Amino acid sequence: MNNRLKVLRAERNWSQAELADRLGVSRQTVNALETGRYDPSLPLAFKIARVFSQPIESIFTDGD
Amino acid sequence: MTKRRKNLIILLLSCLLVTMALGMITGFIAGYWSDVTDDRMGMLLFWVIGAFAVITMAICMIFSFKWMQSIDEAAREAHKAAWFWGGTGGMSLGMVLVILSSLPQAERLPLSTWLDGRTDPAAFMATGALAMLLLMTLGYTIVWAWWWWKRR
Repeated sequence: MNNRLKVLRAERNWSQAELADRLGVSRQTVNALETGRYDPSLPLAFKIARVFSQPIESIFTDGD
Repeated sequence: MTKRRKNLIILLLSCLLVTMALGMITGFIAGYWSDVTDDRMGMLLFWVIGAFAVITMAICMIFSFKWMQSIDEAAREAHKAAWFWGGTGGMSLGMVLVILSSLPQAERLPLSTWLDGRTDPAAFMATGALAMLLLMTLGYTIVWAWWWWKRR
């Protein structure tokens, strides 16, 4: 699964640690999400969508 | 530091203190009764230490439960993968040793226990169980590190 997390975070000038704080996860998890090596659960995906005020499908796209 | 993290650290320190205190009490009792030759007292000591072991492990489980609740989902996934792949990998290695040990030829192997030169069945059982735990923990650690390494 691909995502636009890094772009969205950069647009807001947030560090990985800052985004991790907002999501209630570790910085390592944010890094794993951004590199696309970890797909979030639905609750975390919804949380990410809320933090960026965007619909889930505009952040995450099917990688196939 | 979040309040949740602070509470977890307080819980960890409390668990450590309680288990250390229990360990000291157990050590004191074992030392005090080490020269007891009376069988009844010996068995009483055995069960007292058993009770301390149960309490200590229960405290460890409570802390593990709280700690697992406190980490995020990716960290939990890493531990699940480590438990399944690392644990079963270590167990598979251990099973090779169990199979070899159960062969009649193993009787000739110069095996010793890890318990101060003891050679009674319980000492060999404890050594085998510890070896299995060690292999499982080793597998667990390797897979856990590999999981995060792949997602760095």
